[in-house]
Amino acid sequence: MGYSNTLTICPYCGTGCGLYLQVLDGRAVGVLPAKQHPISEGMLCIKGWNCISFVYHPDRLSQPLIRRAGQLEAASWDEALDQVVGKLNEVLQESGPDAIGFLCSAKCTSEENYLLQKLARSVIGTPHIDHCARL
Amino acid sequence: MASVDLERIRAILPTLLTITRVERQSWQKVADKLAELDGILALRADHGGAVPHLYRPGDDLSDLVLEPRYPMALTLNLLLAHYPESRLGVVVRGCDERALVEMVKRNQVNLERVFLIGVACSKEQATSCRCATPYPPQVMAGEAVEGVEDDRLGTYESMSVEQRREFWTRQFAKCLKCYGCRNICPECFCRVCALEHGLWVELGQLAPPFPSFHLIRAMHMVARCVGCRQCELSCPAGIPLTALYSLLNRDAEELFGYRAGRNVNEKPPLVLPLEEKR
Amino acid sequence: MGEGGKPFEPKIIGFFCNWCSYAGADAAGTARLQYLPNVRVVRVMCSGRVSPELIFRTLRDGADGVLVLGCHIGDCHYAEGNHRTAKRIPVLRKLLSYVGIEPERVRLEWASSAESSKVARVVTEFTETVRALGPLNFGR
Repeated sequence: MGYSNTLTICPYCGTGCGLYLQVLDGRAVGVLPAKQHPISEGMLCIKGWNCISFVYHPDRLSQPLIRRAGQLEAASWDEALDQVVGKLNEVLQESGPDAIGFLCSAKCTSEENYLLQKLARSVIGTPHIDHCARL
Repeated sequence: MASVDLERIRAILPTLLTITRVERQSWQKVADKLAELDGILALRADHGGAVPHLYRPGDDLSDLVLEPRYPMALTLNLLLAHYPESRLGVVVRGCDERALVEMVKRNQVNLERVFLIGVACSKEQATSCRCATPYPPQVMAGEAVEGVEDDRLGTYESMSVEQRREFWTRQFAKCLKCYGCRNICPECFCRVCALEHGLWVELGQLAPPFPSFHLIRAMHMVARCVGCRQCELSCPAGIPLTALYSLLNRDAEELFGYRAGRNVNEKPPLVLPLEEKR
Repeated sequence: MGEGGKPFEPKIIGFFCNWCSYAGADAAGTARLQYLPNVRVVRVMCSGRVSPELIFRTLRDGADGVLVLGCHIGDCHYAEGNHRTAKRIPVLRKLLSYVGIEPERVRLEWASSAESSKVARVVTEFTETVRALGPLNFGR
């Protein structure tokens, strides 16, 4: 019977509320707000309170999936990335860079979002990049 | 780039500085008892705050602290639900113990194998909580101080009907529906919660015009709320929830002679027939 | 004042228990007793079924008043159902008063199946009480 609380930051919006993950026998079972956190001061919004709901969710992706003949099939990372690069190149050849759009996310780090816009603007050459916060 | 809000940091510094490290000697009894138990549930210092922690036999207790408060009944419930046969100690303040008493009455927790380590709250803590009974029945650490009256109740009761409606409409309009009050409440255990039911509560509406959520929650807290104030502390909108619950529980005492958490043999009045006070 | 300058007609929902008060209301109808038509009657099996959630939903959905009629204490078909109502309604009225809703908008009465004139009287009285209070308009 091992019970502990691990301080972490809510994975959702940019506010970055502090919270504790309640861990029982190696499994996250609940959330407690971090009362000493200078930003959240022991309070959370509904997303913060439920931030572990995706961790063990049956629909959570655990490996790349490729849709073949209408069915999602397990694939390796190499296969999946080949698929992505291949299809993006196809669209690029047929319709040009403006036909491709990119969406980045508050769940990604700033560095990851920076890389994506570099990919979009410098590599693909499209100005069409947006962010989930604007939706 | 936003600058760090120094005022906010200054405002919470006193809380950070009052985290007390408990003297090893005064917890010798606790440390001794730990050898017989599977563990002791207490607050452990963590990253400038504290967090509920299960100390196992052999663990060093020097980082055991008493603040900031978390509702211990919640965690005890969690552990006992998974390990019903375990023998646990738990450090409890007055409100923690009262919460456990109410849970026992509702068959949610079994205290037979639980060793309660009572801690009395300081005068400052009692005042900040407006607590009427800032100590458990058996105190092992700290000195019990007198209870404090909730000065808000008189203010709210002196308001006229229109003033009350205006005040509480404004308060409930701030609600984010974070469900923090329900989540942190040591008394809320229902697996199917009425507050999540679309029939009774306007789901997905942020500050619905009619405060169904809050009225239902208040009714559920009658003869149940033990005044731990955790709901209010967790409310991002600063709604004075426990003022409402305190008023209703004062009524419950007048109408039914019942006070939540006082006596494990007193059955909750709303489930009893009239004139029966088993 | 009601809408369009017409006198205000309160909308009242009445939860009447099947065994006593609903039968009493039925008897009032059979006896052709006159009473005000503002109460929309909902038959429940026991007044104890009327939960706080139900009352709040009723007020939220447009009722200006809620009338709960049950069997006399000791006569409940389910022995103690009305005991629950007897305890619950006074507390609910206190809560309403604290948040600025007149507690007189929710009323609990006992009426047996033989008390048709009491049912008629209570319905009329309660309608006039709520009329004097005006429309609820909480958050509408």
